Amino acid sequence: MRTIDDFTRPLEYLSPLDDPLGKIVRDWAENYVIPHRRKFDEDWKEHALIEPAFKKLMGELGMQRVLFPEDLGGWGLGRSNYVGTASYRLFEEVARADSGMAVAFGVVYWPMVMIAMEPHVNRELCEEFAPIFCNTTEPRFAANAMTEPQGGADIENMEIVGGSTIQTTAVLDGDEWVINGHKLWPTNSGGVCDLFGVVCTTNPGSRDPNDFAFIFVPADTPGVTQGPPYQKAGMAADKNGDIWFENVRVPKSYRAHGPGLDLMYFKEVISFGNMGSISFVGGVMLNVFERLYEFVSSETYKGQPLKEHDAVAGVLADFVRDTEIVRMCGYQYARMLDRPDLYGPRWSDEMVAKGRAIKYWACDQGMADVGKAMNLMSSYGADRDWDIEKHWRDLKIVQLWMGGKQLCQAEVARWFFDLETV
Amino acid sequence: MSSHDLFPCMYEWMSDMDVSLAGNLRRWAESELMEKRLELKEDYAALLAPAMRKLFCDIGLQRLFWPEAHGGDGHNSPSAAYTMVAALEQVARGDTGIALLLSSLWALQTCVATEGRVNEEACEALSPVITSNDAPAIVSLVLPLFRDVPQAKAKLSRGSWSVEAEKARPASSGADASVFAVLCALEGVDDPGDALGIVAIPGDAKGIKRGSAFLKTGLAADRNADVEFAKVKAPEAMCVARGVEACRAALAWFYLGVSASNVGALFACHEILKEWGDNRVIKGKGNIFKDNPLTAAVMAEVAKEISVDRLLTCDLARVLAEPAIYGPAGSEANFVTASMVAHQVAQSAEKAIGNAMEMMASAGYATEWNLERYWRDTKTMQLCLGPYELAKMDVARYFYQSQAR
Ligand SMILES: Cc1cc2nc3c(=O)[nH]c(=O)nc-3n(C[C@H](O)[C@H](O)[C@H](O)COP(=O)(O)OP(=O)(O)OC[C@H]3O[C@@H](n4cnc5c(N)ncnc54)[C@H](O)[C@@H]3O)c2cc1C
Repeated sequence: MRTIDDFTRPLEYLSPLDDPLGKIVRDWAENYVIPHRRKFDEDWKEHALIEPAFKKLMGELGMQRVLFPEDLGGWGLGRSNYVGTASYRLFEEVARADSGMAVAFGVVYWPMVMIAMEPHVNRELCEEFAPIFCNTTEPRFAANAMTEPQGGADIENMEIVGGSTIQTTAVLDGDEWVINGHKLWPTNSGGVCDLFGVVCTTNPGSRDPNDFAFIFVPADTPGVTQGPPYQKAGMAADKNGDIWFENVRVPKSYRAHGPGLDLMYFKEVISFGNMGSISFVGGVMLNVFERLYEFVSSETYKGQPLKEHDAVAGVLADFVRDTEIVRMCGYQYARMLDRPDLYGPRWSDEMVAKGRAIKYWACDQGMADVGKAMNLMSSYGADRDWDIEKHWRDLKIVQLWMGGKQLCQAEVARWFFDLETV
Repeated sequence: MSSHDLFPCMYEWMSDMDVSLAGNLRRWAESELMEKRLELKEDYAALLAPAMRKLFCDIGLQRLFWPEAHGGDGHNSPSAAYTMVAALEQVARGDTGIALLLSSLWALQTCVATEGRVNEEACEALSPVITSNDAPAIVSLVLPLFRDVPQAKAKLSRGSWSVEAEKARPASSGADASVFAVLCALEGVDDPGDALGIVAIPGDAKGIKRGSAFLKTGLAADRNADVEFAKVKAPEAMCVARGVEACRAALAWFYLGVSASNVGALFACHEILKEWGDNRVIKGKGNIFKDNPLTAAVMAEVAKEISVDRLLTCDLARVLAEPAIYGPAGSEANFVTASMVAHQVAQSAEKAIGNAMEMMASAGYATEWNLERYWRDTKTMQLCLGPYELAKMDVARYFYQSQAR
């Protein structure tokens, strides 16, 4: 019998952590997530079922520490040359069980990309924030607060909009930044966040890259208010809500790097976001494969397993084709992030565009394929007990977030065709 | 301009009554559902059940396609196809699940009560349910999960059917049904053309065992559960569709209902997307969403899908409404047309609402904006049609005389 381990992986450039970490996370998924996930949707507000699984993965198994330097209690992944491929495997395994958990877990790393990655490690900030994540066995959450009420896509569309729509302001007052603004939707908001990375402007309306600021704000800083989580079509394991910053004061040093550099490295955050998104699609497709395999083998049509019907087999083949391609492209992109010496800096427009191209292809294809898998299952396709409908609902947001497909299209066309206005 | 007037529709086929009913149902949808759902979400007891009761019993849609002689409104000729479409579009705009329940009810009623071939005994048996002023008549269709393989079998002996199914999964409403309409393989019938039938069984008949309602993607108004039929007895006349052609006719009417319900969901999608497009600003200050060529192109695509889906649904209504021109509803040609239209419209709804969600990003995914529920509902409804891959075998058989099964 074929299993998900029969899908191709690039054996020649897997990270040394691939096997051990993959195994640990798969065991965790089998024991802590898969038996409970059918009830996650109803647990969207309380997280009574979801929280213990986070505690095990992030706190007890220590996955929330991996990006930080070893001497600060981390695993040093941020300084390795396999941060992309190792993270890809981790995220894929978590997403196989629950892509909402995968994004919540992945976003714990996300703002840390600004400060914990070579060649731009900000040692002072790593020292400041590592204890939050490394000195505990409780799960701790970080959030990357970009999106604002007037629009998230524009904030990511730096080339054209140039940060001019950012309304969260940061004003230097002596040795402190004073932050005011309203963010919404970040993963790990909705009341759970411990540390925010906040996209701000130091000069509202400006298009000057120097005015883009990425500033860390511990969630318990006076003036920070987190609203309750929103109810969504899926992704119950990820809480999203409003965050208000009212005259929030943080030390000057909490700005990630400073004028110009914040924006430059922020694009690396986008590259990682794209890589993570692709891995979530891949993880979902692997589990859909497993569940679908069981369904089409056990259900019969005219005396034969459903999978033996030639036309059904055609759809099954397409599903595998796309899962293979998502995985190969995903690992390839992760590898490109691992080897800036070969592929150029992770924050280059080229890397962002290539990441966006694969991300939106994978998302579109994944949505279509999982939708077709549901269709093959007749009424069972919509049944929570078969898990696939949950993956379908969860996956939709991976397609919509980070500026949506149109921003991906704009950035891809812009880079490859030298566009100037789109 | 309301969506009803905006998207192309063959008005010349509709009566004044159809148009005015649509107007009334539009108001019902707004006051009973849309104005309350921000607060009540998809609450069955507080929102959906009262709205359904009002629609089915007070407004009386459950009596529409029912002979006057049996306490109905007597709108029981095939030309009711247009009325059904006009009504279902508006009902589904308010709640797609309620529209699916109405589609199931009407599909059964076309078997029992169509003018000229009224099954008097079955009408009599079902009238208390259909003409109730208090309880919605909820019909659970137990259709093949996989194309033409029934989930149940029935045997006739001494004037009574005995229906058996170990664990049937209805298309809808297994938990709530007041009547089951079970498509069965008829045992002991020699001619394969006669070996299929739909047996109507009151929900409280002896031998019916319902499981508990299962969690599913959408259609909160439809509380579905697996059902066991252990030698459930029904009088001979309760086989309300006998033979392949009669069963196909019932399916063709159901497919019409599903198509019209999808169109109604798409109307709602269009309204939500329009509001977004009129007000959202992207690409920096002052750029109205709908004026951006990239997003306008996707919005146009959504409108195209809705328009084409509505025209196709109107055409299918025409085919079923005019047997004198197009032949009986259950002919192979009409059944295949109905199946193609239903699958086409269902897939198109999945695509169009998915695209609309893409336009609205997080807002499209949040329950607060109400778009995502139509996406979940229409996908769930699509699955009631069974796998498209298998339905294609009927199409290939008709158009190419393919023997593929
Ligand atoms: C589960 C979940 C997790 C999330 N996680 C995070 C997070 O961690 N951090 C965070 O900051 N945000 C997060 N978000 C928000 C998400 O990233 C934004 O919703 C997304 O970036 C789009 O922003 P928006 O919703 O404001 O839509 P808008 O910015 O208004 O965009 C709407 C649509 O407009 C179109 N569009 C945008 N720009 C252009 C253009 N230039 N040309 C043509 N079309 C365009 C696209 O189709 C887009 O989908 C999350 C949302 C959800 C639901």
